[in-house]
Amino acid sequence: MKKKRARARTRPAARPAARPPAISPAQALWLELMPFYIREAWLLDDRRLSEWLDLFTDDVLYFMPRRKNVPRREAHRELTPLGDLAILEEDKRYLEMRVARLDTGMAWAEDPPSRTRHLVGNLEVTPLARGEVQARTAFLVYRSHLETDHQILSGCRDDVLRKVQGAWKIARRTIVLDANVLLDKNLSVFL
Amino acid sequence: MGATRKHVVIDPATGKIDRRIFSDQAVYDDEMERIFGRAWLMIGHESLLPAPDDYFHTYMGEDPIILTRDGGGRLHALLNMCRHRGNRVVRCDDGNANRFMCTYHGWTYRNDGALDHVPGKSEAYYDALDRASLGLVEARVETYAGIVFATWAKDGPSLEAYLGDARWYLDTVFNRRDGGMQALGPMKWLEPANWKVMVDNCSDNYHVPTTHLSSARVQSKYLGRPRLSHKDQFESPNRHAFVNGHSITFRDADDNVPRYVHGVSSETFQLFQDYHDATMPEVERRLGTLRARRVQLGNHSIFPNGILGLRLALPRGPRQTEFWHFVLVDREAPEAIKHIIRVGSQANNGAAGMFEQDDVDNWRQVTAASASRHGRRYPQDLSMGLGHAGPHPEYPGLVSERYISENNQRLFYQRWEEFMNAESWADIPLDPIKARFDGTATMRG
Repeated sequence: MKKKRARARTRPAARPAARPPAISPAQALWLELMPFYIREAWLLDDRRLSEWLDLFTDDVLYFMPRRKNVPRREAHRELTPLGDLAILEEDKRYLEMRVARLDTGMAWAEDPPSRTRHLVGNLEVTPLARGEVQARTAFLVYRSHLETDHQILSGCRDDVLRKVQGAWKIARRTIVLDANVLLDKNLSVFL
Repeated sequence: MGATRKHVVIDPATGKIDRRIFSDQAVYDDEMERIFGRAWLMIGHESLLPAPDDYFHTYMGEDPIILTRDGGGRLHALLNMCRHRGNRVVRCDDGNANRFMCTYHGWTYRNDGALDHVPGKSEAYYDALDRASLGLVEARVETYAGIVFATWAKDGPSLEAYLGDARWYLDTVFNRRDGGMQALGPMKWLEPANWKVMVDNCSDNYHVPTTHLSSARVQSKYLGRPRLSHKDQFESPNRHAFVNGHSITFRDADDNVPRYVHGVSSETFQLFQDYHDATMPEVERRLGTLRARRVQLGNHSIFPNGILGLRLALPRGPRQTEFWHFVLVDREAPEAIKHIIRVGSQANNGAAGMFEQDDVDNWRQVTAASASRHGRRYPQDLSMGLGHAGPHPEYPGLVSERYISENNQRLFYQRWEEFMNAESWADIPLDPIKARFDGTATMRG
């Protein structure tokens, strides 16, 4: 730092500072949301789950359809629709129950807790009507449990975000795992 | 082949069982022949393939099965194995097709199993291939109240005789409404546990207040779910019954309360009570007064690997099981009720289910203990309630005096021995059907 300043002083005739490159509104939105997802990942991995719950609107739908083997030409049938049996089809109350359960000290699937690492990227943002935003991300989640159990969960999230009192909240999350038969003994970590 | 090996694993006088059956490869291999090769196996539900030419891919034990409905509406359970080299002819989970083509050499089968087309029939095979004998291998199929079962045993009994008086209890859920049930699912996942551990767990209500207390507690707080404690379980009016090889628990109470299902809350309970009351005349007509008003099926297992309704424990080696979770709903129930049952089912059962996720580590460690060099010298103790079960004047099967009992588990391992030691179906005892099936419901629905 010191050196830089010194150099600047010795060059009083330097070109005027370049104007910051113009950012499009879409880029600005992307830059606003990427830290949102990084923060979410840290909240999950740090097990700060009540703060994580605050990232969701009260009317959230947290949905993980099943994923079937179907012919390529019938790709519309690959994900099971709402109304069919899902892996997760939760409202805020169910999410709160899941978090409250962990605090009882008797939620054995997560006590002792899993060690997780959520890597979230490939963010793609699309503005929707009424100020809502669609944000798609891809994730790799590593889970280590008890002594040697370990799993990698690969998938994507398709979120609808909405601003509530100035802060982005997730109003709908669709999680699609890259799996047909889940290889994991259970799915007790949040994605 | 182990044809002469005698499997003696339980001492009925003490309830001690040899824990090696949960991890021994030779035992497992015999199970695949002697149990999964013989028993009627639950494989699906008619509602999964409602239209002509629909199919649903499933398993009989480890064997991949295409459950088809042919153009005439008849069901077939076909081994998914091309008769030429053995490649699968279906790779999708379900669909609609009247032909299945092997992707290796193009042999093509009709959905009733017949070998329809062989490339080079004349040019390569000199018209010498006996196509009639090379259809897909077909298992026997029968249905009960829309649930599809299949067996490899040509000498086995009818499905009706196989279910026997267990149907008296099963009817109270699966044969309840004129419109039948609708299956949704399956959700599929692998559990690192022996298949028998989860089957035997179906009658283990002793574990519920310990294993599942966290889920029950938060659901009491958030949904008004009935409290769960050891005291409640010990004083429960529920019963345990072992009927013709099948493990049943049921609620025995004449208080006109709808069957408890996951997902119901204090806000939605009235919806279920109203549905219960509105359908009671129909249910009474179908099942007779005693069953309609007094008996509610609880946790249960249809031998060998049906788990709590239409859910399957598919063996994948001695220490691994593929779980299939379906939910069944009354087809004619109001949408609001179907929604609550579906959401409650995924929230509590299945890989991510709050209740079910807490079972798995117990089951895997029980399985692992059976492989422990030292631990496996010590038997499991299933002595709970020994000598406190027997025939009942009203209820079929061997009924335990109390709900919390290991009577069904002991009898499950004795049933397992009967299958494992039998040379043929003639050696496997079946109880005669003695129950009175009041009402209009039949095997067909």
